Amino acid sequence: MKKVWVDRALLLIALIVVWEGVSRIAGTYWVSSPWLVTTKIWVLLGNGDLWFHARFTIAEAVSGFVLGAVPGCLVAMLLRTRPLLESAVEGIAAVGYAVPKTALVPLFILWFGVGPAAKVALVASAIFFIVFYSTLRGVKSIDPRLVQSTRVMGANEWQVLRRVVWPAVVPYVFGGLRVAVPYAIAGAIVGEIISSNRGLGYLAQYGAMDFDTTLVFASLLTVMVIVLSISGAVALVQRRLLRWQSVGRQSAISVVGA
Amino acid sequence: MHSNDPDIPLLHLDRLGISYGGPGVSERLSILEDINLTVHEGEFVTIMGSSGAGKSTLLNLIAQTLSPSSGRIIFRGNVVAGAGMPQDPGCDRQIGYVTQDDNLLPWQTVWENLLFPLSLAGRPNTADIDRARRLLDQVGLSDWGGHYPHQLSGGMRKRASLARTLVYNPPVVLMDEPFGALDAETRAQLQEDLLKLWEAERKTILFVTHDINEAIALGDRVIVLSGSPGRVALELQIDIARPRSPELIFKAPGFAGNYDAIRAQLRGEPQ
Repeated sequence: MKKVWVDRALLLIALIVVWEGVSRIAGTYWVSSPWLVTTKIWVLLGNGDLWFHARFTIAEAVSGFVLGAVPGCLVAMLLRTRPLLESAVEGIAAVGYAVPKTALVPLFILWFGVGPAAKVALVASAIFFIVFYSTLRGVKSIDPRLVQSTRVMGANEWQVLRRVVWPAVVPYVFGGLRVAVPYAIAGAIVGEIISSNRGLGYLAQYGAMDFDTTLVFASLLTVMVIVLSISGAVALVQRRLLRWQSVGRQSAISVVGA
Repeated sequence: MHSNDPDIPLLHLDRLGISYGGPGVSERLSILEDINLTVHEGEFVTIMGSSGAGKSTLLNLIAQTLSPSSGRIIFRGNVVAGAGMPQDPGCDRQIGYVTQDDNLLPWQTVWENLLFPLSLAGRPNTADIDRARRLLDQVGLSDWGGHYPHQLSGGMRKRASLARTLVYNPPVVLMDEPFGALDAETRAQLQEDLLKLWEAERKTILFVTHDINEAIALGDRVIVLSGSPGRVALELQIDIARPRSPELIFKAPGFAGNYDAIRAQLRGEPQ
């Protein structure tokens, strides 16, 4: 484990060195430089600008994430016992999934205005389908014998759902959630670039229009930190819930092999 | 109504049949037909039959995970299942089912799996938990309660699965080739343990197997299904004295005669 971290740190340092090298050769005008960006972030943190814009992006991404993921998960779970409805919904969802969500932005702006609501809608529309499909794959993978044997033990429909279906689907839900995190941030950023006067997407856009590449890079780095933090948080919850999968894999091998 | 009156059989299958397929008579594939079987309280019945004779289907009908197309199932004098009746899997926790697969919940430890059927009926009380602990001990898994199913060997999972079925105390236990996939030694040990548990718990067991030795070693009576659709082709009382030793059952007097009769029936030879 420790070795991986060392390798990662070395790779990161190498990338920063390359960046610094390019900025010295080509000039800081196009690619800024690690030092300039760090100073810029420091300044923006100091005057509160970074947090002002970041919190809009985070709020939009997180609300859209929740508003997309919860219904996506619920709809897929509820379709479990309705195979006819499931194939109908799946067909229509395929269309919804195929539509590029950015193409819906004009519509969202018409409906919800240029404020955060349109960005939330954009994020939710992207996340819904990702989580819906991954949950549906989990629902389909449930071993019917497990459900059957639970019924024989006297479980009612709710108990089957709560105690067998949900735990069986959790790994798939989290698979979808982890894929969805970058999309959530991307949705918020794209929405802000298209029309906004706040948020990290706006900040990057503003920087680019001003030929201030340092500001653009500062915004991008902040976005990266946010994506990594949210991904990390989701991964942490996932590991908690799926601890049983990894517990004693080693000893299992030794027991079975004995 | 729920008396243990010896005159009323515990379980009675009355002209039970099941067929799959379309609505027309010619389109239907009949799996079981006209199954009549009476099982008494405390009996150990083993069920044999060539593959495709509908052994597992019969257990699924009794467990009510399948619905019969004809006939009725009568449990303690009450009709509990029949053609057109709503399914009640497990017959309101009166019938436990140990399937070929152990069906343990992979995300729960052995102990949690054991408490699972109890928790479906509310919070387990102290007596329930004591019973669970005793059963865990009886199946030899007291040291494994905190482990997950994937950490156990196949034989241990079978033991856990058996304990989980017994823990909520269903009077009837159905077992579908539970020891089929195990090595001979583990198998003999489990057969012996099962007989001990059966005697201690006074369960009624219907046990499907494809092993003639096992059928004779365990059963008070052997039922052979045969034909297509499957029917009861042979009912054989096994009069070998108990306690029996499953591993050495072939030495018991009377074994050879029983063995030949069952084998002849399974091969479709005239007797």
